[in-house]
Amino acid sequence: MAVSARRIAVRRLSNVFFVVFCTLVTLVALAALALILYSLASQGLQGLNLNIFLKSTPAAGSPGGLINAIVGSIMMCALGMIIALTIGIMGGTWLSEYAGESRYGSVIRFLNDVLLSAPSILIGLFVYEFLVFPFKSFSGFAGSVALALLAAPVIVRTTEDVLKLQPISLRESGVALGAPVWHVIRTILWRGSTSGMLTGALLAFARISGETAPLLFTALNNQFFSWNMARPMASLPVVIFQDALTPYPDLNRLAWAGALLIAVSVLAVTIIARAFSQEPRRS
Amino acid sequence: MSLASPELPEVSIAEVDKAKVKLDVQSLDFFYGKSHALKDVSIPFEAKAVTALIGPSGCGKSTLLRALNRMYALYPGQRATGKIMLDNEDILRPGVNLSMLRAKVGMVFQKPTPFPMSIFDNVAFGVRLYETLGRTQMAERVEESLRRAALWDEVKDKLQTSGLGLSGGQQQRLCVARCIAVRPEILLLDEPTSALDPISSAKLEETVTQLKNDYTIVIVTHNLGQAARLSKYTGFMYLGELVEFGQTAEMFTKPVTTRASDYITGRFG
Repeated sequence: MAVSARRIAVRRLSNVFFVVFCTLVTLVALAALALILYSLASQGLQGLNLNIFLKSTPAAGSPGGLINAIVGSIMMCALGMIIALTIGIMGGTWLSEYAGESRYGSVIRFLNDVLLSAPSILIGLFVYEFLVFPFKSFSGFAGSVALALLAAPVIVRTTEDVLKLQPISLRESGVALGAPVWHVIRTILWRGSTSGMLTGALLAFARISGETAPLLFTALNNQFFSWNMARPMASLPVVIFQDALTPYPDLNRLAWAGALLIAVSVLAVTIIARAFSQEPRRS
Repeated sequence: MSLASPELPEVSIAEVDKAKVKLDVQSLDFFYGKSHALKDVSIPFEAKAVTALIGPSGCGKSTLLRALNRMYALYPGQRATGKIMLDNEDILRPGVNLSMLRAKVGMVFQKPTPFPMSIFDNVAFGVRLYETLGRTQMAERVEESLRRAALWDEVKDKLQTSGLGLSGGQQQRLCVARCIAVRPEILLLDEPTSALDPISSAKLEETVTQLKNDYTIVIVTHNLGQAARLSKYTGFMYLGELVEFGQTAEMFTKPVTTRASDYITGRFG
């Protein structure tokens, strides 16, 4: 049976069309990213100076920095991630290893997916009702919990997914040696999924490090430097939100510098985490 | 069954010397949920000898193997009834300590499953579950196990590198080493060479040959040549039943049942 020359020509043409189309779309997406990063870098670098790391947020017209917001963001993100990692890894592991196809498991999985796409401002309101209103004070703790609620579903989901990628025979060979299932999960499955679980954790971290809405209702803001998580706490996203809306150019510059700081720190954390997790597979 | 001659028996199970039997399966039925996968299977496994299980896909060979270390207990829908006597103790009885059972009955799987850790830790993994050994003792145990699995010379200079970096055949021998490091009495091999190339398969067979005087080995295989080369006894299974069981040499030269004869001569399966 001869293959018709016309069919091959059509096939070749559609292939070229498809490749060109994919390349163009990719370029458009990358161009948007490059533009954002460019304006962020050019505007942010102007606002960057040593005072940013030494002084707290100023009133309009006076010099100041972002140290209260930087420290607040680090503390709330760190505590939020600790809570989210604990819930997320345990929950994801349970869904993957113990829930199976059970009804309870499917319900939890579904609710987690709902939570994954819940508007962050709703999470903020929820935590407000639970941790701000009863204690009659905005607080860094409430902010952390709001951030944790945003990060946990991402970690649950990615943990479950990467654990499910591990072959069943790997679990069975651990069990066949006489190891309890929990031991197999801890020493074999987690170790084999470190890189995937780390990706999930980094995605979650990147998501919460720029969140503003849930913090508005929970940690609020604080003009002054504070270590006290039981009191209102400043954070970079909220400071950016407030300063960017003011008509004062110096506060606007501060907002740009804050935005740059968030972008750079997410990038730095990603690079460092990747460098540490890269276990050479072959040597 | 149109080829069946009337004088041949449907089923033929050879007698073995009961004193030599290490593991004795008696009237075993196995269920995956509602599906009845093993039907009244009785088969003895002689101590320190290789028994091969052959038969077409889906005949229950692997199911039988997975009953022998109660691997199926991981899955709630699967259950076995009957008796499996290991040293005169029924391992299907409720209350059997599965960890201790699996320390006695090791298993190697179809696909190599090295753990994501160093070669040394792979072999030490099982040992650490049962024993607390000092540094040198553990090193000795790891070396001894790797030697017995015929892998030592290939990995002795890179024990601290990842087990995932080995070739498929080496990974499979690593799994054998990991298994015998625990010092089991019985080895279950579930199609151990089906994912390997011919040269690696030959090496693994050599390893099994070296082990067969010290362990009670049950091997599931689709490779009839392998069964003939390695085993002393062979069981032929078909549709969840043990159709024929006897000395390998006899079964491969003059099978007693039509179904075994058809399978061995390549008429089906």
